Amino acid sequence: MFKRKRPAQDFADEIRSHLELEADELRDDGLSPDQATRLARVQFGSVSGANERFYLRGRIQILDSIVRDLRYALRSLAHSPAFALTAILTLALGIGANTAVFSVMNAVLLRSLPVADPTRLAYLRTSNVPNGTGTISSHETFSYPIYQTLRDQHSGFSDVIAYVPLSISKVAVRYGSQPEEAEGEMVSGTFFSGLGIKLPHGRGFTEQDEKDHAPVAVISYNYWTRRFARNPDVLGTTLYVNGIGVTIVGISAQGFEGLEAGGSTDFWIPLQNRPELNAYGNPVEEGKIYITNPTWWCLRLIGRLAPGVNKQQAAAALNPLFQRAAYIGLGSPAAGEKPPTLSLEEAKGFPGFSEEYGRPLRMLMAMVGFVLLIALTNVVMLLMARNTSRQREFSMRLALGAGRRDLLRQLLTESFLLVAAGGALAWAFAQMATRSLASWAQIESSLAPDRTVLAFALGILVVAALIFGLAPLRIALAAGPALSLKTSAPTSNTAAGKSRAARIMVALQMTLCVVLLVGAGLLIRTLRNLENTPLGLRVDGLVVFGVNPHVTSVPQGKAFYRDLIGKLRELPGVESVTVMAWRIGSWSSNNSGMTVDGRLPDVPNGSSRTVRSNVAGPGFFTTLGVPVLAGRDFADSDTETSPHVGIINEQFAKRFFANTNPIGHMIGTEFGQYQMTIIGVVKDHKYRSIDEEPIPMAWYEYAQIPIIGKMDVELRVHGDPLAILPSARKVVQQMDPNLPLIKPMTQRAQYDLTISSQTLFARLAGCFGLLAVVLVATGLYGTLAYRVSRRTAEIGVRMAMGAGRGQVVWMILRDSLVLTLIGVLAGIPLAFAIGRALSSSLYGVEPLDALTYAIAIAGVTLVAFVASAAPASRAASIDPLKALRTE
Amino acid sequence: MPTQDSSEDRIALLQGTLDLLILKILLLGPCHGQGVARSIQRQSEEVLFVDHGSLYLALQRLEDKNLIQAKWGLSENNRKARFYSITAKGRAELQDKTSQWKRLTRAMGLILEPQGEEG
Repeated sequence: MFKRKRPAQDFADEIRSHLELEADELRDDGLSPDQATRLARVQFGSVSGANERFYLRGRIQILDSIVRDLRYALRSLAHSPAFALTAILTLALGIGANTAVFSVMNAVLLRSLPVADPTRLAYLRTSNVPNGTGTISSHETFSYPIYQTLRDQHSGFSDVIAYVPLSISKVAVRYGSQPEEAEGEMVSGTFFSGLGIKLPHGRGFTEQDEKDHAPVAVISYNYWTRRFARNPDVLGTTLYVNGIGVTIVGISAQGFEGLEAGGSTDFWIPLQNRPELNAYGNPVEEGKIYITNPTWWCLRLIGRLAPGVNKQQAAAALNPLFQRAAYIGLGSPAAGEKPPTLSLEEAKGFPGFSEEYGRPLRMLMAMVGFVLLIALTNVVMLLMARNTSRQREFSMRLALGAGRRDLLRQLLTESFLLVAAGGALAWAFAQMATRSLASWAQIESSLAPDRTVLAFALGILVVAALIFGLAPLRIALAAGPALSLKTSAPTSNTAAGKSRAARIMVALQMTLCVVLLVGAGLLIRTLRNLENTPLGLRVDGLVVFGVNPHVTSVPQGKAFYRDLIGKLRELPGVESVTVMAWRIGSWSSNNSGMTVDGRLPDVPNGSSRTVRSNVAGPGFFTTLGVPVLAGRDFADSDTETSPHVGIINEQFAKRFFANTNPIGHMIGTEFGQYQMTIIGVVKDHKYRSIDEEPIPMAWYEYAQIPIIGKMDVELRVHGDPLAILPSARKVVQQMDPNLPLIKPMTQRAQYDLTISSQTLFARLAGCFGLLAVVLVATGLYGTLAYRVSRRTAEIGVRMAMGAGRGQVVWMILRDSLVLTLIGVLAGIPLAFAIGRALSSSLYGVEPLDALTYAIAIAGVTLVAFVASAAPASRAASIDPLKALRTE
Repeated sequence: MPTQDSSEDRIALLQGTLDLLILKILLLGPCHGQGVARSIQRQSEEVLFVDHGSLYLALQRLEDKNLIQAKWGLSENNRKARFYSITAKGRAELQDKTSQWKRLTRAMGLILEPQGEEG
């Protein structure tokens, strides 16, 4: 069917032959050779025309016209550069902001685990935990015996995968001589095989590795890139984790960054049984680590469903086993105690992350959606205004023979150009915005835009292009060829319908602007409240870092810290030094029941017996600047051999010592093994985070308790707190060259981290509010300015008839004020709804905060005034004579 | 100059009819473009006027549709010329179009000359 295409030369040859044949015949008819040749040519008509028509035959006409349309569109956009620039920038901001927020949302909420066949994986969840157990998360973590039990069955799951971090934050590692910190996890032997993660280099773990607690490690692709510059020779070398050497045997596939959402795990080792490598870096408690302590539920579990089994069946099959294993080490359940129930949750995304970031991110997405809507309507209004003034052009083209389809193609080409330019700029903007968003939100996992994000951005662009192309079409076609014959542009363009559409859009923008401003106002006031919340301690001048010494015995550990405190105190500029087991302001805390005077205190029905506790060094409260209300602070004189002492806060005293002086009373651990005498009561202060409510607290003295492990050192210094770190690092490394300072930072920065998501959302909301204001202002200005220029003649007539300048100004202002009023009236109920949806993210401010609403409304009104000022003054300065003469 | 004088009496070809004429001419035997043009003019008693540029494009169009085929050859007076001949598909098309054309002219005739012989 495919014939070789006939060359144009062949066709030309044929025509030449025709001319010769014709001339021959004419000669035969009796003409002279010259005449014959000429006549043959004349009769043929245009030879080059025929050749050209042959050439054009079969050519793709569309391509030609596309190029033509593009050229025409470029020329026409270049004629109005202000319009083109505004439209492109508006698009770039609107679409860029949306793409950036969507990228983060995609990475955090939508992207599924990079594992094989994720639909067959399920997170294990429990309804509650038995009394007397400690947990990391009361519904998501399990004890080692439970893991063992579930691992050894094969009815519900084909694989059970356990994983637990080596530290709450980072763990000390050493590769070569330099101590550093990295994020590490202990995992079951089924981790890589069960999840289905490929290891392009080296190998994963086996069940034998887990049984032997083999000293091997797999590092992540990111860590390999960041730390080892993708050197393949790293396999077989030794990484020291908390001083324990492990051999690197594998590198995980690119894109797998662990199961911690937003985090990025650097290395994995099989589940270990050494005290140095306890789960969460916890110190060994009564000789027990996570494996030997059946009441510490610290492992997260994922199961791969056995073939042919669904989640419900698996849960039903495993529950009896689970409930038996749950009481290992606890005896039988107490009377009336509800045994825990196992359930399975889809392992599509990252656990725990959607709760933390889901709502705020969705709110943000709604806000940027509004911004996008404003941006799109803005561009539509600009286009409509522009194309209305081009009506004469369109009608001229129709009169000259352009088809409606040609006009449509032309408009679509123009909108395509705008959208393409805006889209390219938006993509660049989104890249930047995503990066800063990620660093603000402290999301370490890769945010590189994937196909979903790309599709999202392209989707918006296509919709925008279609809207922009089609919206002005009605105007263009309404023009009709006859319009070009009319002479008076101003009078031919006053059709009410078009301006009504523009007015509706302005009112809509005002509505959205009110909503955005209210949302931003509420979030910013929340941030203000959080920032101004008194912490109850003098936080400025404090600096904190963690150390995790390698010690083999408790006395050795005590000696290490005593030594460290002594040496740090001698550094110039240091006012005081103390230590604590749980860093304050880091979200973490140790919660349990406590005995008071030998027994668990009675609490009124419904109230909690939970006490938050920490382990502190000498001068703890003096260093922090927390007032001691009664008694005294811990001191150097409190040692292993002196009587055990403890300190409580006001809440503790109020709840458990109502009407008695707590000083001198005994308090102790939940089962009463450790007892101490209360020597002080301190003022309540913020402990875990800025936005918490105080609860009863108690402090143990670090030198007196029978365990020791990683601790955080708190220094109060004169001058810049961070300036002390180099000399502090020197002190630590003189004591042990293997020890890095773990997460050194000012105590203020540590507390600020607890409101980082609020900070992020407030700042972003503020940005979006501002963006909305700017967009609405330009939109309104554009519409009004355009209307004034259209009405020049009308205004001229009015003024000639005796209208004062004030009346003219009022006419324009009234227009925009009416629109603003409508927008505000529609916006307030919508803002109510948004405020209510935000309420869980607010702190110290009501969703119906009157001040915020007042400011938002005032803001929108101000925008309306500012945007109307220039057009109104232009209208007022119209010279009636000139205006009428232009008619 | 017989081909020139009577130009006022000539009729420009209706769109689509040129194809039909070409096929009909070629039914008599292979012919080159110039011959086709002459034949149309002669057989229509110099009434039909063929625009030569359009003729060659029409020939090309028919060739593209496989209704005719072409190859270079020599004319009677030893000129190189491209000779066209009708294909089987072209014959079928001609038959089809001819009967269509007859129906059309009959219908036109009925309307334009209502007194003409009926039945």
